[in-house]
Amino acid sequence: MIAVEELTVRFGGVTPIDSMTVSFTDGTCGLIGPNGAGKTTFFNVLSGFVRPASGSITAFDRDLLSMADYRRARWGLRRTFQTEQAIEQLSVYENVAMIHEHSRTQRSSRRRAVLGALEFVGLAAGSDEKVGTLSARDRRLVEVARAVVGEPRLILLDEPAAGMPEEETLHLADVIRRIPENVGALTILVDHDMSLVSSCCTTTAVLDFGKLIALGPTSEVLRDEHVIRAYLGTEEVEAEA
Amino acid sequence: MPSFEDFKPFFVTGLSLGGVYALSGTGIVVLYRATGVLNLAFGAVGAMGALISWALINHTSANQYVAYAVCILFGGIVTLAYGIIFGPPLAGRDPLVKAVGTLGLALILLGFMSWFWPPKSRSMFLPTSNSGYQIGIVHVTWTQIIGLVAAVVVTIGTGAFLRFTRLGTAMRALADDREIAATLGVPVRRVEAVAWLGSGLLAGTAGLLLSDLVALDAVTLTFLVISSLAAALIARLQSLVVTLFAGIVIGLVDALITPILSISTYRDMTPFVLATIGLLWISRRRVVSVGRAGT
Amino acid sequence: MNAGGAPSEARASLSLPERRPTAGTIVRGGVIAVLLAFVLAGLPPLLSVYWLDVLTAVAIYSVVALGLNLLVGRVGLVSLGQIAILALGAWVAARLDFATSLPFPIVLLATGVITAVLGVIVGLPALRVSGLYLALITLMLAGAITIVLNSTNFPNGGGGFLGHTESSFGSGGIRRPSIAVSDQAYYRYAVVLAALMFVLALLHVRSKPGRAWAAIRQSEPAALAAGVNVTLYKLWAFALAAFITGIAGGILGGSSGKLFVTQFTTQGSIILLAVVLMGGVFSLWGALAAGVLLQLLPALLNDWGAPPDLLTVIFGVGVLQVLVTAPEGLVVQVPRDLATLGRFLLRLGRRAASLLGGAQ
Repeated sequence: MIAVEELTVRFGGVTPIDSMTVSFTDGTCGLIGPNGAGKTTFFNVLSGFVRPASGSITAFDRDLLSMADYRRARWGLRRTFQTEQAIEQLSVYENVAMIHEHSRTQRSSRRRAVLGALEFVGLAAGSDEKVGTLSARDRRLVEVARAVVGEPRLILLDEPAAGMPEEETLHLADVIRRIPENVGALTILVDHDMSLVSSCCTTTAVLDFGKLIALGPTSEVLRDEHVIRAYLGTEEVEAEA
Repeated sequence: MPSFEDFKPFFVTGLSLGGVYALSGTGIVVLYRATGVLNLAFGAVGAMGALISWALINHTSANQYVAYAVCILFGGIVTLAYGIIFGPPLAGRDPLVKAVGTLGLALILLGFMSWFWPPKSRSMFLPTSNSGYQIGIVHVTWTQIIGLVAAVVVTIGTGAFLRFTRLGTAMRALADDREIAATLGVPVRRVEAVAWLGSGLLAGTAGLLLSDLVALDAVTLTFLVISSLAAALIARLQSLVVTLFAGIVIGLVDALITPILSISTYRDMTPFVLATIGLLWISRRRVVSVGRAGT
Repeated sequence: MNAGGAPSEARASLSLPERRPTAGTIVRGGVIAVLLAFVLAGLPPLLSVYWLDVLTAVAIYSVVALGLNLLVGRVGLVSLGQIAILALGAWVAARLDFATSLPFPIVLLATGVITAVLGVIVGLPALRVSGLYLALITLMLAGAITIVLNSTNFPNGGGGFLGHTESSFGSGGIRRPSIAVSDQAYYRYAVVLAALMFVLALLHVRSKPGRAWAAIRQSEPAALAAGVNVTLYKLWAFALAAFITGIAGGILGGSSGKLFVTQFTTQGSIILLAVVLMGGVFSLWGALAAGVLLQLLPALLNDWGAPPDLLTVIFGVGVLQVLVTAPEGLVVQVPRDLATLGRFLLRLGRRAASLLGGAQ
């Protein structure tokens, strides 16, 4: 469970996040909003890259903001980025193992954990191949594998389906849906693909101009008038029940 | 501890040197803002120009004023040539890559300089060093006055150029956002060429003045760029006025330390220490941030 | 694909990383072993003292280049201060040598450790800045160190903390290890040590620090998000580079017995960067190529009567060529560049061979 209290971020004369108060409970929560709403900034605050002007974040009874950025992964924070950040020079195996070796010290469980994560995302490529040689789909899956390995507590997925064709998005949705049961982490999903959000997330929060404008069961939120208006011109989406 | 009287001549030296540092600093700042290139070969270009001048004066029957003009023009032409040839291929790259490129240029120039002018005692004596003023016991040469005055003139002139002319405005647009400037129809290549040429002419001028004020030595002149760099960095590679004041202060600090004998052996470290301060100053920033303030 | 349930054992489609060496690795290892044996045993009898000294210098400076190769190629940190670190290492080794009667290997080890600590101290302010400013700040620190060295000079048997005496009647040169006093033996000693340093670097690259460095080089935010303590690993890289450079400095002192401040210039640090880039930062072998460029080429040029300054010009052009033709930043495309370099060296090698035949 993550409780965000009065979070405010300011830089360069802009206020990307403005007194945001929201709670995320178990399962998978969507976080949507038009461009510039503050979603990635929020993720950056959680990752420790952006220091908020005020406010607090309590994650599983820990004050997250007081933790050093690199320590959060050890604590159990995982994150994917809008542009895949899997390390191209390293192999698939090394990419996932790296997350494990920097957050846990038991080498004995490592191979099993890494291979388990790779299998979970359904990666077709051999684990010895360098990530730089893989297709975009496989690179993205390596990123997701990095996000689920090693008993994470909080997974942040930042537009994982960006630029993906429909078929691959469906596969990704399947993987994300299996996270709560198999990995047991609280997942926050940011994406513009509403069908992905509605098929994976039980609840959804909506940001606009750094403020929270809606929070609730996904199907209700996606039909909310305020939300639709905030997207300005986006057609009404038929949410998959 | 030396008395105030002892400091006076160093005061004069410091102001004039500081002026030349500021002059060079302006060249560095304007080029960086317009092209993203931190020209580390700035000093080497001036050094080679000065050596060519010296060779013309001492080994040919060339008129000395022609020789001085050659020095300044050499600076402009070599810098412009570098900018035209290596500017475009490196244009989209990290500032670090662009700066390392200028290190390559510096090596080329240093190589040629030590090849054609093996280390030997040479001196440059500008005609303006013959006469000057007498302020109390201190003698101020015209060269020294030029050093300081030129800095002020160049700062004001460049500022006016950037503010009031079309080309200058285009240069400011380029400095602000290269891509948007291009889409707005700013003639990017032409504006950059002007920046390269202008900064090169300043390099030649600075080289000429420093060869008289300091020494005519390839390595010394090349690494004097560090003092100018320090001034530019303290100005956060932005403000011309701060560059002017920073340059003068650096010149003063550098010179005034000399009479304080106990640390004068380490006086040569001053530019490095000041540049380090400049670098730490320019890098004050918040935590790592990812991308623009977008989603 | 599993529809649910706990992750099962590895399936046939997911191969475990190869634990046993492949045929290719064995062949490569064999070739390296043969070359090493030739360099150690076969080469010395063929060469005059002058060329042995040159090759000793190649070994020494390959290690220095290795330090920079690791920093630039693995971590993405450009340091313009490695020659100053070399000077520090040489100074420390010489001082320990004159002040104590510790055996040479112990002196080397101590020098490496002390230089590593100094490297970390130099690295600390450098880490607050990144990219271009990091390069510049290392240049500044190197310049400052060079100036201090100019006035303290190198130990030569004198007394006091600095151990330098102006009188030319010092207590003899820097000693060599008891097992390697002759020039031939010292050459072998240097080559073996250089090989050990390369192995040390390789071990780092293939394990946890190497992976952390690869992450840092690609994207610091992503590395932090993966749990990598970026500051620690950057300092580790500086420390490792300084360690091996310090040891190189110790070997340098023993090579000629005397050290001169003119050997360690700020310009030298820039030239080092140039040859490291030209040699290629994608592979550790690039460091060896850099060492050859830095020490073998000037000797050859000298033999042919060409001005040594021409080399500075060539290196300047080389840097620009590398920067312009390498598409991904400072990472050189190994096949192309090594092949070009290989052809160039082969031509040089043929020339050198005919020269050496005449020089005997």
